[in-house]
Amino acid sequence: MSLLQEEREIILSNEYVDTFDFEEVANFVSNASKDLFISYHFARREKMLVQPRGGFPTYAQQYALYEYFVKANVDVLPLTIDSNTRLNDYATAKKMLRLSEENDMDMLNGYPLVTHGYRTTRKMITHFNKPVSLRHGTPDARLLIETAIASGIFEIEGGPITYLLPYSKNFPLDKAFLYWKYVERVCANYSALNEPINRESFGPLTATLVPPSITIVIQLLEMLLSLEEGVKSFSVSFAQQGSMTQDIVTGNVLRKLARYYAGQIGCGDAAINLVYHQWMGAFPNNQDYADQLINLATVIASMVGADKIITKTRQEATGIPTKEANAKAVADTQYCLKILNGLPRVVDEEEEEILTLEVKAIMDAVFNDPADTLWRKVFNSIKNGTIDVPFSPHIINRNEMITIRDAAKNIRIINRGKVPIPDRCFEYERAQCDLSKDTTSIVNDIIHDIGIMQ
Amino acid sequence: MKVITGVVGNDIHVVANRLIDLSLRARGYEVFNLGVNTHLEEFFDAAVETGAEVLMISSLNGEAEGWGREVKLLKSRYRTLDDLLMMIGGNLVVGSGRTEDIVARYKNYGFDIVCHQVDLNTGLDMLAELLQERGLQ
Repeated sequence: MSLLQEEREIILSNEYVDTFDFEEVANFVSNASKDLFISYHFARREKMLVQPRGGFPTYAQQYALYEYFVKANVDVLPLTIDSNTRLNDYATAKKMLRLSEENDMDMLNGYPLVTHGYRTTRKMITHFNKPVSLRHGTPDARLLIETAIASGIFEIEGGPITYLLPYSKNFPLDKAFLYWKYVERVCANYSALNEPINRESFGPLTATLVPPSITIVIQLLEMLLSLEEGVKSFSVSFAQQGSMTQDIVTGNVLRKLARYYAGQIGCGDAAINLVYHQWMGAFPNNQDYADQLINLATVIASMVGADKIITKTRQEATGIPTKEANAKAVADTQYCLKILNGLPRVVDEEEEEILTLEVKAIMDAVFNDPADTLWRKVFNSIKNGTIDVPFSPHIINRNEMITIRDAAKNIRIINRGKVPIPDRCFEYERAQCDLSKDTTSIVNDIIHDIGIMQ
Repeated sequence: MKVITGVVGNDIHVVANRLIDLSLRARGYEVFNLGVNTHLEEFFDAAVETGAEVLMISSLNGEAEGWGREVKLLKSRYRTLDDLLMMIGGNLVVGSGRTEDIVARYKNYGFDIVCHQVDLNTGLDMLAELLQERGLQ
């Protein structure tokens, strides 16, 4: 028995799992409908796929949410996991699910997939016969993704960096890399049985003034960590940044460099997709304005040429959205995409060149780290500040980089910290900003720049 | 002047914490930022370890109310912290309340400066004034 299989048996002989039948699950994946695989839909490239967010505690609520989404002409269904399951606290998830079922009151902020189990959840997934995307935020997702794939969920979001740096203060980053290595291998192995399982990285990170160079570097590194374990379908992603030009430039550079670096490690055969998140920062309270913001994001996603868009709702500012609001966002986004035709092609060569140089310089610094494996190189690079994510709460993050918006609302780096941004690029970035102000006014500008859409 | 800062309890709202850090440095303080999700003991331990003169706690989700009650008792267990200037700011209640009541309550918990929903720079000006009054700056 392989080491991986030994580890899987340990992970799955958990007291909260009702006997995991490896052979039956492999048979299920082998014979599963192609429609359940998002990789199959991506390969046909017929339209930009629309995916909302959403997860409710009980089976009945999740089923009802999916019914609404299907009526709104959804392309990809989400399964958002509750916070207890994300932190591997299955005992609390179980208790809170019972309370939610018995009291008609939501005690969980998502669907406790491990508690429901794959036998139950699979019935719902195969009934709707749409691709489902697993949305979580889990540093140790080993049991969760086993349960997801066994349920018929063939897209797994996340990664060791993007699910840790924005969400945790002190979960050990080295452990996260090893737990995600398991995820990649399991996804790779199942991919040999039918269409590939798609992995997706979480590009929005902290959604707070993250410059495109940092976003792209982290997308590329998580992609490489996934492809080197044998994953054959991967989505890089980023969120609306506040400037249409910067989004278009980011999309172009990310797409080109993803292809380039995949080829460099001999994985040029893997399918690489681009995902765009509608604005992930603070939303306006005014729900009509929120609709405008959602619509604008859809237009930009089209300009970027995204393969999938992930929607927000008009209730974003007020809490967990209702299924009606969620379905409305899907229907509105689909309508907007339908009427968006004959878009102009916009290219800003200077911005693309600067961004490409920045990303390559950081990637070179990561590859030149003396560690023996890629994950260790990346770990060291985060630790020593070669990669620095603005507004990450994690203790390992350097927090020296400072960013601000220029007059056109592009995010610019005004303090590079230890990140090896080449001098020429750094001078260009700073030249776009008014740096004559004192720090107090700059801090006020940053506060304003974060809340730009409110 | 050494300042310890951080967000109290299980609160991980990081944005203001970074801005407080930046602004304090810009005003010439030596900053020890414990970041989000910091418990009271950690604040006091850090004050002892660094010999800081100021402890600046922030809270956004309102759970400071629960922690505030324990400040006096906990602080009394440390022998060297009697002169520590204590400041708290952010959104200091769950729901809403009258600012005068909130400020009075937190002063009673042992804080010298209480900034409930006060602009960052106003709060830092209040700190500078008190330091001057006490002849520390």
